[in-house]
Amino acid sequence: MDILKNMALKKLTDIPMEDFLVGGHVACQGCSASLGLRLALKVLGKDTIVINGSGCMTLLPVYPTTPLRVPWIHLAIENTGAAGTALYYALRRKNIKANILGYAGDGATYDIGIQSLSGAAEKNIDMIYICYNNQSFGNTGHQRASSTPRASYTSTTPSGKVEAAKDMPIIMAAHRIPYIATACPSYPIDFLNKVKKAAEVKGMAFIDLLTPCPVGWGFDPAEGINIGRLAVRTGMWKLYEIENGRVNVTYVPKKRKRVSEYLRAQARFSHLSDEDIGAMQAEVDEEWDELEERGYGYELGI
Amino acid sequence: MNTRRMITGNGAAAWGARLSRAEIIPNFPITPQTGIIEEIASWIASGEMDADFLPMESEHSVMSALAAASSAGVRVFSATSSQGLMLMTEMMFVTSGLRLPVILVNVSRGLSAPITLWSDHNDALVQRDSGWLQIFCSNNQEVLDSVVMGYRIAENSEVLLPMMINLDGFTLSATREPVEIPDQDEIDDFLPAYDPEHTILDPKEPMSVGGVVFDEYMYFRSQQRMAMCNSNGVIKDVCAEWEKMTGRRYGLVEPYLPEDAERALVICGSESAILRYTVDKLRKDGEKVGMLRLRAMRPFPCEEIIDALSDVEEIGVIDQDISPGSGGIIATEVKACLGRSVTSFIAGLGGRRIGVEKYEQMFKRLGRDVEEWIF
Ligand SMILES: Cc1ncc(C[n+]2csc(CCOP(=O)(O)OP(=O)(O)O)c2C)c(N)n1
Ligand code: SF4
Ligand SMILES: [Mg+2]
Repeated sequence: MDILKNMALKKLTDIPMEDFLVGGHVACQGCSASLGLRLALKVLGKDTIVINGSGCMTLLPVYPTTPLRVPWIHLAIENTGAAGTALYYALRRKNIKANILGYAGDGATYDIGIQSLSGAAEKNIDMIYICYNNQSFGNTGHQRASSTPRASYTSTTPSGKVEAAKDMPIIMAAHRIPYIATACPSYPIDFLNKVKKAAEVKGMAFIDLLTPCPVGWGFDPAEGINIGRLAVRTGMWKLYEIENGRVNVTYVPKKRKRVSEYLRAQARFSHLSDEDIGAMQAEVDEEWDELEERGYGYELGI
Repeated sequence: MNTRRMITGNGAAAWGARLSRAEIIPNFPITPQTGIIEEIASWIASGEMDADFLPMESEHSVMSALAAASSAGVRVFSATSSQGLMLMTEMMFVTSGLRLPVILVNVSRGLSAPITLWSDHNDALVQRDSGWLQIFCSNNQEVLDSVVMGYRIAENSEVLLPMMINLDGFTLSATREPVEIPDQDEIDDFLPAYDPEHTILDPKEPMSVGGVVFDEYMYFRSQQRMAMCNSNGVIKDVCAEWEKMTGRRYGLVEPYLPEDAERALVICGSESAILRYTVDKLRKDGEKVGMLRLRAMRPFPCEEIIDALSDVEEIGVIDQDISPGSGGIIATEVKACLGRSVTSFIAGLGGRRIGVEKYEQMFKRLGRDVEEWIF
């Protein structure tokens, strides 16, 4: 926990070599969700206890083996927040100093577990909650969730989702927790500095981590990192932090790529016409114009 | 020095948790359980009890918190009722599957819809397959005693199963009775601090808890069943020790069956007090009647029931519960255990008054293999 204290990561070689999620598990090839956990644990280190909500990552330990070298507990899908709350008090009673890392999917976070997450946030429990976000109920076959972006095909939105994704970071900001961020494992330095900050703040930290999923999104497993980069470079997934009610964009793409580059690379958007994509481009442009006007940072007013 | 106080069943449950030095108390309010958590909250605030009071956002979260804190090796306690217990269902199975010695008091209350505030046993009995030990109390003293004994039983390495202690809403939860409150020192000797060897969430000893299994699933379930079998003897041992210490005797069943009893009713919970009064009354009139109170529902005390009732000619079972399409839940189990017919009475649902006359009526109507609703 102390290795990187007060030191920002600057380059890839600053990332600790030691792994606490090791090979031999059954996540798909090219899975960014397992990569996200592996990276986060490198920074959080051995004094970390992971609480997992049911989803793809629940299949990491398969009896009698485990790829995890830190304690890990899975209870159910909707209670990562509640388990974190109890674990925080339990560790305090046991005098055990450890990071509590909640690692749950977007369905477990935005949908079924939002009540429990809200309870932990309201109490400002000192835990790091990373929502690995593959924008669907992945493990059950990629069904629609409230985190699924508009227009995306899922197995339960065969003609594309009608509604836009819920704005989870803002919901968390309304709980006035000290640290909120979005991230993507394709930008490991940005992500891990956020994890570091999350570990350092006193109270709850929430990171919404976009984790491209080759199976659910329909792309070649070799392209996982690229898809994440495209999500960010097209401006469709914004990297930012929220501290003390202030939003700060942490990465501004120098020359934004066209959203079509990101969308056309994935089967889940293959039904979109050029016009549909044009409309989405206009939306993204408008958002970024507004951000630019505000100097890529602004007060939320909550 | 032990003290005697006039306290409610809810107060007795809270005292049980306090004397057991439960350290984490996640909770969510529901009538008629609220008195328990309010009492504990006041003790924690005044410094009389050293515990963390965690007001959770739902009963599902309460059971999740119990499981998480227990996994980290802390002694935990909570209480609920009715709808709250239903919301815990998913996590009830997780808790028993992880073999965590959680103690939960259920203040029984009939299930919605329609809404009732009053007691029956359907809420508790819905959970009978959840792998929890289940004890039904008949008075407030028994509530306190059962909570303390509960930790000894649940934490026994041959058992390691959670336990639900049931007390009837209002009839016990809100009624004051004299209750002997043992000395803290005495309880500390009886119940040492919880020291788990099984599940530990500590970076010094990394383990993965609650993961996926394939073919081994059935093996884990069979282990759980064995633990439940083991608990039968452990309950008896712990009760014997308790009796030595306090003079109060408990077991898996409580027979009130004089040698000559030819007819008997089986019951559980606080209604047994009125049934007992009825038995005394009828016996004064020369009727050869008796009764058997089931204290443990899980493990189901089949041998003890056979021992108690083998010489009784006519048996009736009173269920304050109903499994529509099957019948009285306890009657079904007693029948299967005895291998003979019993008369099944469905009574007291949603706290509907039974009373002496109706118990008398039931004794008259034994000897028929039917299900009869006593309104
Ligand atoms: C109460 C409950 N309902 C449904 C499920 C089935 N289920 C298991 S994993 C999962 C998907 C979770 O989605 P997400 O949190 O996004 O994680 P992912 O599978 O995408 O990794 C679902 C719905 C469950 N385990 N528990
Ligand atoms: S389905 Fe997607 S998120 Fe799930 S393990 Fe495979 S790649 Fe990872
Ligand atoms: Mg998902």
